[in-house]
Amino acid sequence: MDKTKRPIVRRSLFSWVFDGNLGWQLSLLAVIAVVVFARVLPLEMQKRIVNQAINLRDLDLLLLYCGFYLAAVLLANVCKYAINILETLISQRVLKRMRSALYDHIISLPLSFFRNTQPGTVVNAIVNELVVPSNFAGMAVSTPVANVLTLLTFAGYLFWLNPLLAAVSLSIYPVALIAIPALQRRANIANQKRVDLSRTFSGRIAESIGGMHEIHGHGAYRIEIRKFDGLAEELKKIRIVWSLYRFAVKTTNNLFTGLGPFLVFLMGGYLTIRGELELGALVAFLSAQEKLYDPWKELIEFYQVYQDGAVTYRRTMEFFDVEPEHEREPSGRAPLTLDAHLEVKHLSFATGSGIRLLDDVNLELKPGEHLALVGFSGSGKSTLALCIGQLNSYGEGQVMIGSQEVARLTKQDIAANVGIVFQSPFIFEGSIAENLLYACDALMEGGVEHVRPSLDDIIAVLHQTGLFADVLRFGLNTVFRAGTHSDVARAIIRIRHKFQDRYGEKFRDAVEFFDESKYLAYSSVADNLIFGAANRDEFAPAHISRNDYFMKFLKKEGLHQSLLDIGADLARQTVDILGNLPPDTVFFEQSPISAQDLPGYKSLLEQLRRKKGRDLSAEDSRRLLDLALRFTPGIHKMVGMGPDVQKVLLEKRTRFRAEVSRDDPAALTFYTASEFIHSQTILNNIVFGNITTASSQTQDLITQNIIQLLIERDLLETIIDIGMKYNAGPQGEKLSGGQRQKLVIARAFLKSPRLLIMDEATSALDNRSQARIQNLLETRWKRKSTLVAVVHRLDTIRNFDKIAVMKAGKIIESGSYAELIDRKGALYELVGKK
Amino acid sequence: MSSLEKSDAGTSCEFKENLELLRQTYLFSVFPLESLKVFAYLGTREKLHDGDYLFRQGEDDDQAYCIVYGKARLELNDNGRVREIRDVGQGDFIGGLTLLGDARRLYSLRAVGETVCIVLKREKFVKAVQQFPDQMPRIFRAVVEAVVDWEIRFLGALGADCGGCLPRLGVSLL
Repeated sequence: MDKTKRPIVRRSLFSWVFDGNLGWQLSLLAVIAVVVFARVLPLEMQKRIVNQAINLRDLDLLLLYCGFYLAAVLLANVCKYAINILETLISQRVLKRMRSALYDHIISLPLSFFRNTQPGTVVNAIVNELVVPSNFAGMAVSTPVANVLTLLTFAGYLFWLNPLLAAVSLSIYPVALIAIPALQRRANIANQKRVDLSRTFSGRIAESIGGMHEIHGHGAYRIEIRKFDGLAEELKKIRIVWSLYRFAVKTTNNLFTGLGPFLVFLMGGYLTIRGELELGALVAFLSAQEKLYDPWKELIEFYQVYQDGAVTYRRTMEFFDVEPEHEREPSGRAPLTLDAHLEVKHLSFATGSGIRLLDDVNLELKPGEHLALVGFSGSGKSTLALCIGQLNSYGEGQVMIGSQEVARLTKQDIAANVGIVFQSPFIFEGSIAENLLYACDALMEGGVEHVRPSLDDIIAVLHQTGLFADVLRFGLNTVFRAGTHSDVARAIIRIRHKFQDRYGEKFRDAVEFFDESKYLAYSSVADNLIFGAANRDEFAPAHISRNDYFMKFLKKEGLHQSLLDIGADLARQTVDILGNLPPDTVFFEQSPISAQDLPGYKSLLEQLRRKKGRDLSAEDSRRLLDLALRFTPGIHKMVGMGPDVQKVLLEKRTRFRAEVSRDDPAALTFYTASEFIHSQTILNNIVFGNITTASSQTQDLITQNIIQLLIERDLLETIIDIGMKYNAGPQGEKLSGGQRQKLVIARAFLKSPRLLIMDEATSALDNRSQARIQNLLETRWKRKSTLVAVVHRLDTIRNFDKIAVMKAGKIIESGSYAELIDRKGALYELVGKK
Repeated sequence: MSSLEKSDAGTSCEFKENLELLRQTYLFSVFPLESLKVFAYLGTREKLHDGDYLFRQGEDDDQAYCIVYGKARLELNDNGRVREIRDVGQGDFIGGLTLLGDARRLYSLRAVGETVCIVLKREKFVKAVQQFPDQMPRIFRAVVEAVVDWEIRFLGALGADCGGCLPRLGVSLL
């Protein structure tokens, strides 16, 4: 963070007006000068038209003045449009800068801030609350300048016409200036409450979404709705009050400005009756005075935007006015390279409420030594690990890495030397590669000298962490669109033939080969009927139930009704089994209906029951048909498919093929052993069929054989590269718990940090993967990186150089495994208990 | 051919067969039909050939098995000497404890002839059980009863002579 610069949360709203927008604001002023002139000119023309052109009956003069009049009106409107564009431009630029600056500030805030802040609060602040303040910034120069200038010009013109009448008609404005701010103050109070409540409201919504599994798990819908309704009601009330005051400001203003003509009529009428004022002059005065309203109204509106914007801005910034605990980047020097000697001296850490989580902790690790922190949960192991990694700011004592105290280092210094693997791994939306290189990329973008790992390095780490097989599977499960990767597709067909020759017989039971004469239990009904890949979208599985040609075929062949029956049966069984379960992949991976579509099918079934199958709407029929066409009996086990049905579908497959080849030969590419199938995964293309076995042993065996074939064709790296592009989904939801954990471990290994902190980093892994990581730490990382590992499984700690047993925030014993077991103390007891 | 005998994937309704088999096991018989359906649905089928292992001694394979048809043999590797324990067959359920927590296999289970079984993974079981928290006490009771029943049968079959095993009896005392 740059100390010389004021932190965003302390900046005034006005500071944004010119910051980075000086040129734009000046252009705006230039346009305003033109617009003021263009607004006054018609008044003068009006007078000249009446007094000179009409009076002198001079047609040329009339046309000239009318021409000026028209030009002024056109110019004023064009300028007004230009002002709007410039204002929008400025306010959007300010909004973007405000958002970036606030986000930049927020992500530097200490973790403790986020423990007490709901994500929804941050989202609301950045997305919604900055909009009004930035709108203000867009108008801040133009609106007051343009309108005050216009106002003064018109006022001057009025005085020039008739000073007495001008003074009377302008006398209402000072009164308005007293009444309006009083009302606005009340509106501000309401707005302040609205901002605070919106923040709570957004936070609460985000909390509920995050805890959706608990809500579904306990059927707690009513509790959540009640909580939500309470806040929504409060927000409704406060918004009504706020709006009432805002409208009161507008109404009061309108009332005052409405009094203007009244005073002119009264006073001017009196003077005219007495012959002291000409009728023409009164009319000219009235029309000039009318022109005062627009600028005045705009000024009042601007005043409101300013007030709302200022309140919203202040409240938002105050909420985030927390100091980051550490500098993000060092200033004036490169990030330090630290000696991986770790020393913790008299370290204590207390929570905000004063509970001591660490109490006088001391330990020392020489470079390359490995330490296991063990103890019951709540004993302070993770807290200690996080203090070492600068994620907890400790109160007393010292943590020294090499000769540097952790509390005084910048975040970048820590990142350059320390790698952390957290207990609950977090994967960002993006590819496996992006997630894997996250730490390395962060270093490089942060200016730390670090070589970007090569594909070989990455593959090595994938092997070491056991992620290789997963990434390979992602690659093998990729579908190529027609026209892409044609070289790879050709090579895969050659591998397909090899696979058939070598392993076809061996995996006869584990693979269902694409055989024209057999029904495929692991392919959908649609795939079975079509038995080919679509060359046009309308024949693709997702669109087939809307394809007229296909529908006509089904009806002609008498399949339509039987498919509707299958669809209805499948929907009934699925809703019966899964109807009340939360949208978890575990429950829905074997379901023909996604969690998202389930409610729709529920109501469809309800319709079906009420109407007893008659008069189903066309859309409902289509959805049932769609479901039946998706039905894959090998996966969707809730309903069986009898051999008779399969036989019929096989006959129709042959007939469909014949018909479509005749009517529309380019629509489909039928499955043949010599063609790449663009609707199927690489894996299915290689085995030329569907893998049917659920046995992981057999699946592994198939994969190993495929790897062998890929290596022979020099294609393994290509498939891995494709697998690395697999999108992990939001928060990595498309990965299993084990895959996520392996990925974050691989990420830390790829960075090769001098000091590695692992906080129960392998708890979600199966035994084999856990043993692999342990083995890797012992063989590759010992003597190379210093390791602090929080360990919950005591069967893995035997080979650590040091073990520290923690209890109630203290290290109660430490030493090597053998020493501690011999001592028959706390570790001996813990191991015994295990 | 009975409904539980060999059939090709998808032709008969596997879900109904799973339901029928699981409701006869000690662990799943405690569940009401509504929740039992979920477990029957979550179970997958595995076909093994003669000699294939369902699980091996020493590994924690995180899953339970129910034999649909065929036969499997429990073996104990005693320092390199493989000893046959007993055979399990159609309807037998193995691995209920594995579903409840980490339980390293102390035996191996090997298919004898072609065998098909229902496989239920711990992750699926745990997630499904979380949906029916009311059933937890029943599960505990069923497991306790199964352990005690096992020891009663063991003691009954033991007779007077068990060599030096007496001091180590008492799994029901856990």
